[in-house]
Amino acid sequence: MVSDRFKRIRRMILRRALLAPFIIIMIVCGTLVYYFSVDLRDNVTCRLTCMANDHRRLIEQFLKERSFDLQCATNSNSFNELTHDGRLTEVLAQLQEGSHAFLDLGVFDKDGNHVAYVGPYNLKGKNYAETKWFSAVRKKSPYISDVFLGYRDTPHFIIAVRRGEGDGTWYLRATIDTFYFNDLVENVRIRKTGEAYIVNHEGVFQTRRRSGGAFMELDPDSNLYRIDNKTDVSFFSASNQEGERYLYAAGLLPQTGWVLVVRQEFSEAYAPLISAVIIAVVLIICGGAVVVIMAFILASGVANRLTIADMEKQEISTQLIMAGKLAEVGEMSAGVAHEINNPLQIMESERTMLNDILEEIETGHGVLDEENMSLLNDSVEQIAVQINRCKLITHGLLKFARKSEPLFQAVDLKQFTQEVVSMIEREAELENIRIVQKFDADLPKIMADPNQFQQVLLNLLNNAIDALKAKHGGEIRVTSVRQDDSIAISVADNGCGIPTDKMEKIFLPFYTTKPVGQGTGLGLSTCYGIVERMGGKISVNSELNVGTAFTVWLPLAENNDIEKAGK
Amino acid sequence: MSKINLLLVDDEEQFLSTTKKLFEKRGMNTSTATNGADALKIMGQQPIDVVLLDVKMPKMTGIEALLKIKEEYPLVEVILITGVNTIESVMEALRPGVFDYVMKPCDIISMSRKVEEAYEKKQAMEKRAAT
Repeated sequence: MVSDRFKRIRRMILRRALLAPFIIIMIVCGTLVYYFSVDLRDNVTCRLTCMANDHRRLIEQFLKERSFDLQCATNSNSFNELTHDGRLTEVLAQLQEGSHAFLDLGVFDKDGNHVAYVGPYNLKGKNYAETKWFSAVRKKSPYISDVFLGYRDTPHFIIAVRRGEGDGTWYLRATIDTFYFNDLVENVRIRKTGEAYIVNHEGVFQTRRRSGGAFMELDPDSNLYRIDNKTDVSFFSASNQEGERYLYAAGLLPQTGWVLVVRQEFSEAYAPLISAVIIAVVLIICGGAVVVIMAFILASGVANRLTIADMEKQEISTQLIMAGKLAEVGEMSAGVAHEINNPLQIMESERTMLNDILEEIETGHGVLDEENMSLLNDSVEQIAVQINRCKLITHGLLKFARKSEPLFQAVDLKQFTQEVVSMIEREAELENIRIVQKFDADLPKIMADPNQFQQVLLNLLNNAIDALKAKHGGEIRVTSVRQDDSIAISVADNGCGIPTDKMEKIFLPFYTTKPVGQGTGLGLSTCYGIVERMGGKISVNSELNVGTAFTVWLPLAENNDIEKAGK
Repeated sequence: MSKINLLLVDDEEQFLSTTKKLFEKRGMNTSTATNGADALKIMGQQPIDVVLLDVKMPKMTGIEALLKIKEEYPLVEVILITGVNTIESVMEALRPGVFDYVMKPCDIISMSRKVEEAYEKKQAMEKRAAT
């Protein structure tokens, strides 16, 4: 039972004082970690996206400028000029001054014949009418091709411009240095696994990919790309065929229809985020565990103290009741001694009577006649009567003084009160106090411990007697009436009364107005405790020099909780 | 020696009836009363030499009765019967006007001896008063 109470108290402390704050703190921590991780993730996304965007613009700008350079060159020269006297070489040199990306330069007539060429390859005179780029540039100028092998059998891409001059059309074509362009694109590094590359709309590599992917190879993962043409850069994540997961930021290069892709290994990108979150969570869990352990220790300690205090209080309460009882017994003992002395005196007289008669008979002065026999019998009988009287008195006292656990039973108030009153009747008589008892007809029974209730009644009656000791015409009224679902038992006297300033103190333990040695001050406080434990109330009404009335309310037997018997 | 006229005053009827028989056996005229008022009435009706008076009695207390008796019959000796062994009782017992006291329960022999002593004292006082 002790550990039950302990567990209950500890649980209550944990629940009320510690659980709520702990949960709140966990929520706060959780929220902070969440927002922190969201922020980090956004960071990663942003970085990749920004980089992709910037790079995309760079490449786009580069292609635009090269196209423009070529267009300028085309517009500033005529067909004839370019095809004669090394003008083409000059133009190439000029172009190369602008950008080293230009590798070679070639002029084509309207049929696709390579009529002039300057560059490292031997391409002059070849016909390109069937080539893809030629067909394309006839429709649209300027045209930038995808990477292809061509006659030179090396991966390269070209920019071609058409010019209509008079009746004729001619074309100027420049090859972009693949390695130059590749460097330009590739020259982006994010940590270890971050890389940039370009694929065309079919997913064919236009630049090399650092982590694996050669020119004109089909990117095996290109089908994974989710490109949203409406925004500048699309951000997504995907796993390739080997199961490696990457983060992608891809943007369209509108001029060529190519896609610039910047990607980074998923785990590397999120590594800082993941480690930060893990550290945070571990710290929270450890901290939380420490808090929980401390809370448990604290709650256990407090619960322990409370349980001990509880038990001590219970113990003291019991001791107090016992002390009150014994004090009551002590106060009653004078009366009891007197009570017993009377039967003893009578027995002594009867004994003497028996002695006298027997002596008479022995010495021959009397005979065992009818008269003497009857006297002898009367004496013996009288002694028996007095012994019985003594028995009642001692038993009554012993029963009262006995220590016992409260035992609730249905008590008939009328009979009970009459019995208790009879215990102090004689003393009251000696003090010239009249006792009047009044009971409601059909008074229902109450649920009470007879022993303890007897203690209460006796105390009230004794107090009343004390209040009336000096007075003439003292009267004690004991009444029991029914009030709603309780019974009100009142003990009223017309004695000296209690002054108002002392009224609040009377139920305090050890409060007494009697001189030292005559009253312990425990009576009313014990009564208060007993009545409370029985689920009742006790109150007092008094007026100086008019009288005092103590009233005890007790619940009826039907309404009372029988489990209280275990308290 | 003439018979001693004894008055027993006690609220216990049983005590009075049995003790009366015992005193009468020992040659004393014994009357009984259960309270102070009746005691005074009897003393008005017949001569009483010694009164055995119970201290604790309802209505008129033993002490009140004592005072009244001493007031109206100053030569009558009073022996107090106390049932409670308290200092107050002893003090009261030593009040002037009280010859002696006996403590309950008391045997008849002690009681009758004290009654005889009281009677002797009364005789002596009466003689002195007469001269």
